[in-house]
Amino acid sequence: MQAQDQDSPIIETRDLVMRYERKLTAVNNLSLSVPRGAIYGFVGPNGAGKTSTMRILTTLMLPTSGQAFVAGHEVTKNARDVRRAIGYMPDFFGVYDDMKVWEYLDFFAACYDIPERDRPSLINDLLQLVDLNHRRDDMVDKLSRGMKQRLCLARTLVHDPQVLILDEPASGLDPRARVEIRELMLELARMGKTIFFSSHILADVAEICTHIGIIEAGQMVMQGKMDDVRRQLMPNREVIITLLDKVDEARSALGVIPGIQKIVDLSDESGKKRIRVDFLGEDAMMTEMMSTLTSKGIPIVNLAEQSHDLEQVFMRVTKGVVT
Amino acid sequence: MGNEAASRRGLIGNPVALKELRGRMRGTRAFAVLTVYLMLMSGFAVTLYVLYSASITAGVGYAQGGQIGRTLFTGIVGIELFLVTFIVPAFTSGAITGERERQTYDLLRTTLLSSRALVVGKLLSALSYIFLLLLAAIPLQSLAFLFGGVSESEIALSFVILLVTAITLGTIGIYFSSRMQRTLPASIATYGFALLVTIGLPLIMLVVVSVLGPFFYTILGNNMSAGVKAALTYGFGALVSTNPLATACLTQYLLIDRHDMGYFTVQVSGAGANLTLPLVSPWIVFSIFYLIVSAVLIVITIRRVSRIEGEPL
Repeated sequence: MQAQDQDSPIIETRDLVMRYERKLTAVNNLSLSVPRGAIYGFVGPNGAGKTSTMRILTTLMLPTSGQAFVAGHEVTKNARDVRRAIGYMPDFFGVYDDMKVWEYLDFFAACYDIPERDRPSLINDLLQLVDLNHRRDDMVDKLSRGMKQRLCLARTLVHDPQVLILDEPASGLDPRARVEIRELMLELARMGKTIFFSSHILADVAEICTHIGIIEAGQMVMQGKMDDVRRQLMPNREVIITLLDKVDEARSALGVIPGIQKIVDLSDESGKKRIRVDFLGEDAMMTEMMSTLTSKGIPIVNLAEQSHDLEQVFMRVTKGVVT
Repeated sequence: MGNEAASRRGLIGNPVALKELRGRMRGTRAFAVLTVYLMLMSGFAVTLYVLYSASITAGVGYAQGGQIGRTLFTGIVGIELFLVTFIVPAFTSGAITGERERQTYDLLRTTLLSSRALVVGKLLSALSYIFLLLLAAIPLQSLAFLFGGVSESEIALSFVILLVTAITLGTIGIYFSSRMQRTLPASIATYGFALLVTIGLPLIMLVVVSVLGPFFYTILGNNMSAGVKAALTYGFGALVSTNPLATACLTQYLLIDRHDMGYFTVQVSGAGANLTLPLVSPWIVFSIFYLIVSAVLIVITIRRVSRIEGEPL
């Protein structure tokens, strides 16, 4: 097995191209890089090339040109090592309806050469993780969509992979099931797994991702740390300050702080005494705002940064071009 | 490698075979199929017995020693062959396409399961159920012993011919299943092939023999040379060995009338020459030929299954 530097990306593609027989280019010189331990949201409109990229990374498809590496192994040359390193969940359930829940996991554990004696405890742990222990002897077709999705996620973990590649893990689920899947993904990230998932549900991406890659028409439009991407596209930050009183004093006190671009009184809109402050700079600016207000005896009820809606970021970078 | 070991562990060590068997034997379905199958076979055997006895009583047939037993045995093997021809393709033609349709094929491809373990597991699980059906019918075949006229060798040989037929049709089914995207076209192709082997070839043979036979006799008459006769004998033997029914009939004829079940010789004479032809019973040629065909098809199927999308064929 190839030794891998802890700092090197766990998933990397270089100038990846996927062209189908009908001359349709699904992936066009795509270069992406997923750091170890990241939750990487791979975002793009339908038909942008997300699934094609994932199928190449999971050794299901050969790229027309370019290179792709997972855990230090090139996908076209060391498919077996790549398969050992990844847990893949496609954008459909892929369950056998004529099996019991535990049999489903046992079958896939056997497919990963996990010895029979180790499987019962492994299955127990996995079912506990995805909260399906009480359904272990039920037939898979009796499970709800959300439960099936959780079972599929448990399946991706049977061989303790380093990377999880999840294609649209939350699509088609009800809000509760979506939250459950999101929580599970966070839990898995805490367990040290790198999660590379595609989605067009931007709220999910915004809430849990550490990194984001935006793809359109097979090309990477933008990628990096979530905050960096957000800041790059939306340079000014917004803070909403709720006050008990003295709105005008607060506006004039904050107006003199350098870096503050705009102060808007929101009292009329919300019925509460609130102001929105647009500023450029780091977190220290917010501390300065608070100390200025308190030193002038202006009572603060709440101060919170408004995170920019990812949809705005997304709309700003994509042009709506889908091949 | 671990996976190599897994594929060597046989039926129970192969995860695919185990999963398929679990699914197939779950609940009452498998036992219901077995019961209905045995009831049909028993019904057929009783009908055959009643009809045959009636024909003897009416003076139409002839009651030769062991003839009832032989008729029963032949009838049961015939219907088993018919059932194998229809059941086996149904079991295997959906083996790979079924995984595609259930969208589990990609999941299996991303595990460490080898293509060989997948194909062999699917085939073994289907064949083991067919094996069970054939095994369950042996007591019924053995009824013939009560009437006499059937030997153990006949039962053993009929079992071999049925099993080879099942393996061949099973392999053809799984081959078409790996070629096609959906189960329906794979089933049509498999049944087409199965019917060609079981019914189509005998029909073609019949046409060829009835057209060419008189032609040869007209042209050559009694002057046919020993060499031509030898070639015709071998040609006829080879044609018979491509068909399970013809193989079973000729094997039984050779066993009963000549007591030959392996190697034997035939004398041919013509145009002043005498030749001693070394021959083997058709069940041997049939088994070797179809087992080789099956092995080749399994290798091709494994190659197709290992193929990654975008890889040239």
